[in-house]
Formats: sequence, C-alpha cells, structure tokens
Amino acid sequence: MRDRSHIHSAICLAILLFFLLPQSIAWTKPLTYTIADTTGDWGYPSPYRRYPRGPGYLRMSFIFDTLTWKNGAGEVVPALAERWEYLGSENAYVFQLNRNAQWHDGAPFTAEDVAFTVQYIRKYPMAWIDPKIIGKALTLGPHTVKFVLSERYAPFLTNIAGTMPIIPRHIWKGVTDPRRFGGEKALVGTGPFRLLDYNKAQGTYLYEANDDYYGGRPKADRIKFIKVSAEMAAAALKRGLVDAASIPPDLAEDMKRADFRVIRAPYGWHLKLVMNHREPPLDVKAFRQALAYAIDRKGLVEITQRGHAMVGNPGFVPPDSPWSNPRVKPYELDLDRARRLLRKLGYEIRDGRLSRDGTSLKLEMLSQPRFKEVGLFLKEQLERLGVETDLRSLEAKTLDSKVLHWRFQLAISGHGGLYEPSFLKRAILEEGFNSVRYWTNRELTQLVMDQLRQMDPAKRKEIVFLLGS
Amino acid sequence: MRSIIRRNLPTYFVALLIILCLNFTLPRMMPGDPLMAIYGEEALVAMTPELRTFLLRSFALDKPMWEQFVAYLYQMSRGNLGFSYYHNAPTLEVILGRLPWTILLIGSALILSTTFGVFLGIESGWRRGKPLDRSLLSGFMALTGFPDFFLGMVFLLVFGVSLALFPLSGSVTPYSGLSGLPLLFDMLRHLMLPVSSLTLTVLREPYILSARAKGLPERVICYRHAGRNSLLPVVTRTGIWLARIITGTLFIEVIFSYPGLGTLTYQALLARDYAVLQGILLVVATVVLLANFSLDLLYARIDPRVRHAH
Repeated sequence: MRDRSHIHSAICLAILLFFLLPQSIAWTKPLTYTIADTTGDWGYPSPYRRYPRGPGYLRMSFIFDTLTWKNGAGEVVPALAERWEYLGSENAYVFQLNRNAQWHDGAPFTAEDVAFTVQYIRKYPMAWIDPKIIGKALTLGPHTVKFVLSERYAPFLTNIAGTMPIIPRHIWKGVTDPRRFGGEKALVGTGPFRLLDYNKAQGTYLYEANDDYYGGRPKADRIKFIKVSAEMAAAALKRGLVDAASIPPDLAEDMKRADFRVIRAPYGWHLKLVMNHREPPLDVKAFRQALAYAIDRKGLVEITQRGHAMVGNPGFVPPDSPWSNPRVKPYELDLDRARRLLRKLGYEIRDGRLSRDGTSLKLEMLSQPRFKEVGLFLKEQLERLGVETDLRSLEAKTLDSKVLHWRFQLAISGHGGLYEPSFLKRAILEEGFNSVRYWTNRELTQLVMDQLRQMDPAKRKEIVFLLGS
Repeated sequence: MRSIIRRNLPTYFVALLIILCLNFTLPRMMPGDPLMAIYGEEALVAMTPELRTFLLRSFALDKPMWEQFVAYLYQMSRGNLGFSYYHNAPTLEVILGRLPWTILLIGSALILSTTFGVFLGIESGWRRGKPLDRSLLSGFMALTGFPDFFLGMVFLLVFGVSLALFPLSGSVTPYSGLSGLPLLFDMLRHLMLPVSSLTLTVLREPYILSARAKGLPERVICYRHAGRNSLLPVVTRTGIWLARIITGTLFIEVIFSYPGLGTLTYQALLARDYAVLQGILLVVATVVLLANFSLDLLYARIDPRVRHAH
C-alpha cells in the first residue's frame, strides 16, 4: 500500500493556505492622503505650541474642535455646538453642545470643558483669542453653555466661537506651563483626527482618523503633511508623491491637462499702494485721488501678475467678498481727470514733469524684491502722469519698519485676513505697519466701530457698505 | 604637539571671543526694543509682562552694557543661546535638531570632494599635458564655475523631475516605516543629489592642488610620494573649503528642502528670528574654529618640517 501521508499533508497545507493567504492578501494599507507644504514645520499642534500662523492653526484644528466652524461657502456651521441663540437683551450667546462628542481618551465632552477653556485662556493667553470679549462663561446644564459678552461684538461666532479651540478640563486643569506642555495628553481633543507623529526637523505630520468622531468618520484613514518646495510641488504631484499641493497659477492649465483637479483658492491676499497721508503732498485727498486715477489696475493684473489676480478696488474689502459694496465706483484709469485734479492744486506740466512753484514733483516709492514688477509698473504709470518716481527696493521687514515709523511717501505692501469686516478696525485705526492709522475722519472711525457692535447681520452689512463708499 | 596647542589655542580663543562680541553687539545696536532685536517680532506677539521681566533679567537688558555682556557670557557658557519665539523652543534645541543633517551633508561632501579630488588630481598630474589631464581640467573649471545653487537646481530638474531617479525633497521618506538597512539606503538616496551638487562646487580645489604635485619616475613611488606631498596643501586648504561648503550648504538645503541648518537659517531670515540666527552664527563659527584647530594639529602630524620647527 502506497504511503499517501504526504498527499494528505499537502492537501491540509493547501487548505490552510487557502484560508490564510486571502486574509494576508486582503489586508490593505490605510488610505493616506498626503499634502505637500512648502514650509514644513508649523509647530507642535497643541493650542499653545503651534506657530501663530494660519497653517499652524490648521495643523492644530485637526485635533481640537471649536464651537462653530465654516463650510466651503464661508457660512458659519455647527461644530461642537449643535445650535445657538443670541439673546439681544442680555448680549449673550447660548450654545447647545453636541451630545455625541467625546474626547480622544474616551472622556465625555461637556459644558464644563467649554467654561474651563475660557477661564484658562484668561489666565494663559492664547494667540488670536481675546477672552475679554466674554464677560462670563456659565454652564446651564451638562450640554448648555452661556457666554455673556462684555460688549457687543458682531464677529463673535467666527472670531471667538469659531476660532477658540476647546481643551479638556480633566487634563489641562493641572497644567501651569501650557507653552511647555507636551506628550500624548497635550493632544487629546475632540477633533476628527489624532496625531500619530510630528517631526520638527523634517517638518512632517501624521494624523490618523478618529473613528468615533461625532461629525462622522473622516474619509481618509490618515493624513500626512510633508515638506516639498513650491518649485517641486507640481513634479511631486505628477510622480504621485503627494495627493494635494499648492501650485503656481501658471501651472494650472498644465496640471488640468494632466488630469489633475485644480481648485482655485480665494483671492485672500491684498496688495496696496500705501500713501503717507501725514506728509505733503500726500496729505491732500485730491492729490491721492489723482494718483489713483493714474493707475491702470487691469494692466497691473495682466502684465505683472499674468492675469492671476483680481483687480482691486478702493477701500479694504475685496471685490469678491459678500461685504463688498457693488455700487461703489472704482478708480478707473483716467489720466485727464488726474491731471485736472493736480492743476486745481496748482501743479503744471513742464517737459513732461509736474511742478509747482518752480519745484518738480518727485515721490519716493518703496517696494520689496518680490514686487519688483509691480513697482516698475507703478513707477511707469506715475511718470506717465508726470510724477517723477524714485523706486527703492527694500527687504520686507525694513520696509515694514519704515512704514510703521512714517518714514516713507509711497510703499507697496500687503497682507491677508480680509474676509471678515472686523479687520477694518485693524487696517484703518489700530497701530501697526499694516494699518493706515487714519483717524481724522470721525464719520469713518464711527462707522468702523459701529459695524463691530452691530449684531444684526443685515444692518451690519449696510454699515460696511457705507464704509466702502 | 603640545607646543602647537600652546601656540595656536590662544589665537582661536581670541577669534571665538571676537565672534561672541559681535554676536552680542549687533542686535543691541539695532533701533527699537532690544527684546525684539534679540528674540524677533514673534516675541512681542507672544510675550506676557511676566515673561518680559524674566527675559530682561536673564540677559540683564535693563543693566549697563558691561553687565549685559557678563550675563550674556554666563548664559552662553551654560548653553543658553536664548529662546526662539518663532519655534517656541530653546534656540539650542532648535539648532541641535537640524545640525546632524547638515553635518551629514557637509561631511559627505568634504570626504567625497577631497578623496575624488586628490585621486583625480594625481592621475591627471601624472598625465600632465595628455588628453585626460586637459579634459579633466577643462571639465572641472567649467563645472565649478557655476554657482552652487545652479548646479543643485540642474541636478534636481534632471535627476529628480525628468528622470524621477531621486527624491525631490527631504532627508528621508516620511513615515515609510523603514528601519535598519532600508532606512540607510533611503537616507543615501535623499543625500545623493545635495551631496553631488555640494561636492562638485569644491572638487576643483583638491584636484588642482594634488595635480601640481611633482612626481618621481616610478608610478607607484610617484603616487605614494606625490600623494603625500599633495596632501599637505589639501589639508591646509580644507579649513577654507569647509567655510565654502558651509555657505554653499545654505543654497543646497533650500533647493532640496533638506532639513539642515541652511534651511533653518533661511527660515530664520524670513521670520527675523534673531535668536536662531545668532545661535547658528555661534555654532557654525565654533565648528569652523574647531575644525581649523584640528587641521592645524593634523598638519603638524603629517608634515615633519612643521613638527620639528616647534
């Protein structure tokens, strides 16, 4: 009789493999979404250790939720707060919190955590959050919290409720040095992701999805941020090294042809020609208007930005913002009108140059190396008007310092953060090189402060429209 | 050897002192808030009154200049290079996190450039006037005439983008899960292009110096003696190349997004993080001085004339 034991063994092995192999083959790697970032390191993603910049906040916001958030259309939507109500008579907001939210360590999220966060920030200031706006934070129940504001503050839902990350009381109550607090406990939040790894030197972040997230499980199992230079972003996308990256606008069409989905970001950065309104001749409104009429803004965008920008408008509110007054007429290119204004001020043209009382009109314009083309374009525009323009290129911080101390006539400068009208106070009245510090128009000053205190959105919009005009 | 140490050490000590003085003086000469000059603009954003008092006291900024200098030296001696408000971490910690990557880059480039330079130089010198000598000389002259960053960009475009042979950024593949030998190979792959760019920019020096060596008739003897003779000026000039490589590293690291001191310097410049900039100046200056001192000792060891003269 033949020994069939080896056949039996082979069959058993085959059956065993049949059950084992599919499991090993069926194992899939987590779905990881890789995002390229040009800077890399934006700080340890805890509320007190992240860098006080947008990307630093974003890294933190994957882990820590706020009471409200914004959707893709810029509308305020629920986050840790399911719904809210403004009580005009008390100048207070009452938030009903999401009962399904819990901390990453399994502890329940309650109103106590929200009230604690406000008290903690009062004691240990957090970047971007002004706790003085909240006069009192009261818990009306385990999932109800009431903020009584110390003053009327229209952007409360976005600037405080939508910005302040809520921290767990059971962990942070014993923390006396938040800027040094690290480790696993420092990163316990309620957010859609948990941090798996942060490497400061490499500038990388790795997050994993929070399966129990109250807003629904994220689509990606993991999110990874890696550092890739701006010049290599497109190549990294094409090589499949990253799934998302910011690319120069000139490459948009090329990437579309390569079957990439290209998302156009909002025009969130504002380039200004800043005028020193404290010094002659720019202290005269008509003179400033004359310069404004002399500049071809469409040409500026087409030539210096190759069409990848939006034509600006007078005032600070971007034209594509819902707060922008569509009835306000922009300064269209009109050299004749510009010259008429200047003639009324006593200027006359001699040999193509404007002069008054025998003195040629000459202005100094400060610029930065990255705005070289803009500076040259504006210089050419002003000289076409007859204003001899001395263009000087300075390093960014040096230019900011000169603007801050009023040691300039004209300066090309810019900043972001323009989509909520609360920025108008910062940009017009507050001290700082990004502010025009214009206090002589009392009506303007009053309107800037009124829009901040107007809690009715429709009425607030009217005030902002009036400001823009 | 002891006499060389006794003779040279004070010179290096004085050099270090001058650098410390410059490091101390420059930010205090800037107009405006001294804390902003030392810690950067982020400090004013982040600073509470209590913290301001603490920092003023630590560096005696409210005291006369000489007391400030003493406090400054005391803090330096304790390894306290200040606090980076941009990174929200002690400056020394920020720098030490990046330093190993730069040492890896510079060390590799220095070893490769010296080794290949000397070898090719000797071979070329032995064949003086022949086609190999002429072509090598022309090639290196042409190649090293380009700025560091240009070569780096060309390498990245050709080998990284077009041929997709090498990574586009970083020093390792993030979260690859690699360890041991695969991790080492991954690091080497990331190192290849930056090191090649940096090596080529300084390759000319050891090549030329060794090519000038006068040889003996027999090739083997010539190689040994010419090699040894050519080593002396190579060692002497290595200190200068080191400084050259360090400055070249800034451009190379930025182009390749390599996480070393060069990238850190660039970020600190943009952010006006003076604490980090001063810390890097101090660390780099100290490294260069130490390297030059070591080379002085090495030179004395390999050149008997120097040894006997002391």
